[in-house]
Amino acid sequence: MFVISKNDLLNWVHDLASSKNVLAPVLNNRGETIFEKIHDHKQIHLNYQTTMVSPRKFIYPTRQDIKQPSLNEIQGKIIFGIHACDMHALSVLDKTFLGEFKDSYYAELREKTAIIVLNCNKACEKKYPNFILKGFCASMDSGPFLKLKKGYDIEITDIGKQQYLIETASKKGRELIAKSKKFKKALKKDISQKIKLKKSALVSFTKKLETKGLPELLAKTLDHPVYKQTADSRCLSCTNCTMVCPTCFCYNIEDNIAYDLKTAGRNRYWDSCQELNFGKVHDGNFREPRLARLRQFVTHKLSTWLEQYGCFGCVGCGRCMTWCPTNIDLTEMAKEIQKDFKEGKIK
Amino acid sequence: MGLTGFGESAISFSSLSVDNKSFVHTIRVAGNVTREISRLNVGDKLEVRGPYGNEWPLKKVKGKNVIVIAGGIGMAPLRPVVHYLLQNRKKYKKLFLIYGSKEEESILYKDELEKWSKSGDIEVLLSVDKETNVCFLNLCHGLVTTLLDKIDVPLSDSVTFTCGSEAMMHFVCKGMIERGQKPRDIYISMERRMKCGVGHCGHCQIGAKFVCKDGAVFSYTDIKKYADNFL
Repeated sequence: MFVISKNDLLNWVHDLASSKNVLAPVLNNRGETIFEKIHDHKQIHLNYQTTMVSPRKFIYPTRQDIKQPSLNEIQGKIIFGIHACDMHALSVLDKTFLGEFKDSYYAELREKTAIIVLNCNKACEKKYPNFILKGFCASMDSGPFLKLKKGYDIEITDIGKQQYLIETASKKGRELIAKSKKFKKALKKDISQKIKLKKSALVSFTKKLETKGLPELLAKTLDHPVYKQTADSRCLSCTNCTMVCPTCFCYNIEDNIAYDLKTAGRNRYWDSCQELNFGKVHDGNFREPRLARLRQFVTHKLSTWLEQYGCFGCVGCGRCMTWCPTNIDLTEMAKEIQKDFKEGKIK
Repeated sequence: MGLTGFGESAISFSSLSVDNKSFVHTIRVAGNVTREISRLNVGDKLEVRGPYGNEWPLKKVKGKNVIVIAGGIGMAPLRPVVHYLLQNRKKYKKLFLIYGSKEEESILYKDELEKWSKSGDIEVLLSVDKETNVCFLNLCHGLVTTLLDKIDVPLSDSVTFTCGSEAMMHFVCKGMIERGQKPRDIYISMERRMKCGVGHCGHCQIGAKFVCKDGAVFSYTDIKKYADNFL
């Protein structure tokens, strides 16, 4: 464990950016934080709230030609400052793409990317014109401090007084740290400060979801009216929820014939279960009703994902409800079912 | 199976690969890829990857009566099942093949059906939805479910393998359960949109199951509990 001052930390990132692709949170001209390639440490905006698009796109690109991956994709990169929930989300994606069948495209990008995680000292909250983004990662066990032991390279924590605590978790991480002499050994007080901050961060959450027994409850309440009501009155099937979700893994594959009609590429790109034709086969569509598609999203994230991968498909980042045009909140739907269960309306 | 420029399509095996040199696919033209495959000539090349998914639990059901119920193109993945059952005839009790088609012209593998029927090793029952004057084996007019009453073995000692449209399988499962078969003893081959075959693209999910990787063959009880199936 090491300690470094904020200035030295940013200088270190600056030096890394001179020789490698470093992606870090940057404030754009609309006041939004986005992850972007940086050239100068002055661009970095560390005190940010959840971004709109999750960093999954750097490891699992929105569109890629699987016959000829572009050079840009093949180059190694460093992602600096992703939040704990997004790191957890990547570990969830790993279970799909590095599980039983290994996806070589994903594996290559994952292998060539170094990830530096920034712990959150406070529950995230950001005001938008029609909605207040509130994270609930504490409920989903994926934040605000990192709970993983591996899969990332460096974990950093703001321990106050312009000081950062640095913990390495891989060989790649240790090699990056070795590039600067400004990292000093952490003292006991620095470590206890982290534990203190972790405790205070955990109690700062106002948005919560009780997850005990939730997967089983959702599995037996597939006909609950909340799905139909929400689908009929609010859901637009716009697919925003699945595009911003950091754990969504679905993709479609499409062949694109070149203009010379001699060669063809095979593109794979993010797909969404909210699309009308997602479950269509030649003589039927298994999820034609909007209610079925909305239910698929909610029950997959909070119920069937556990059966598939042993973890929730939701990390509590709050993106889906924030970027939904009608702010459909899957926790509210789950809570309505839980309420009916508590009141004895569901057995 | 795939063709560059057109895409890929998930196609089942319709033969046992005994000699390890060749295998058979039966393809019905339903979309872009299958139409383009149907236009290929001898010597043309196409892409093949796989095999993916699980298999019919043929070894697990030894010593039982086996009822094979096919609907339309659903006969294709069941053809190797019949081949296997006949090759290992002594290991099973009575065998049935119940096969329903839309019209007489779309009945697949007619030569083999005749051969199987004549051998006496398996009782072959056929039906067509559209009325026909053609006399072929015991072909009768009606839906495949009308043939279920001809099963004359105790269902408690039988297993059913079925493949067809989900609507047809819905009525087959309902009919078999009404006649006393345990839902666990009904095995279904599901059809879903598939793009990758390895449980990554998400299209074929039914609840927690990936049809491409965990299926396509499921026990009725394992798959019925999930949302968005017509069983």
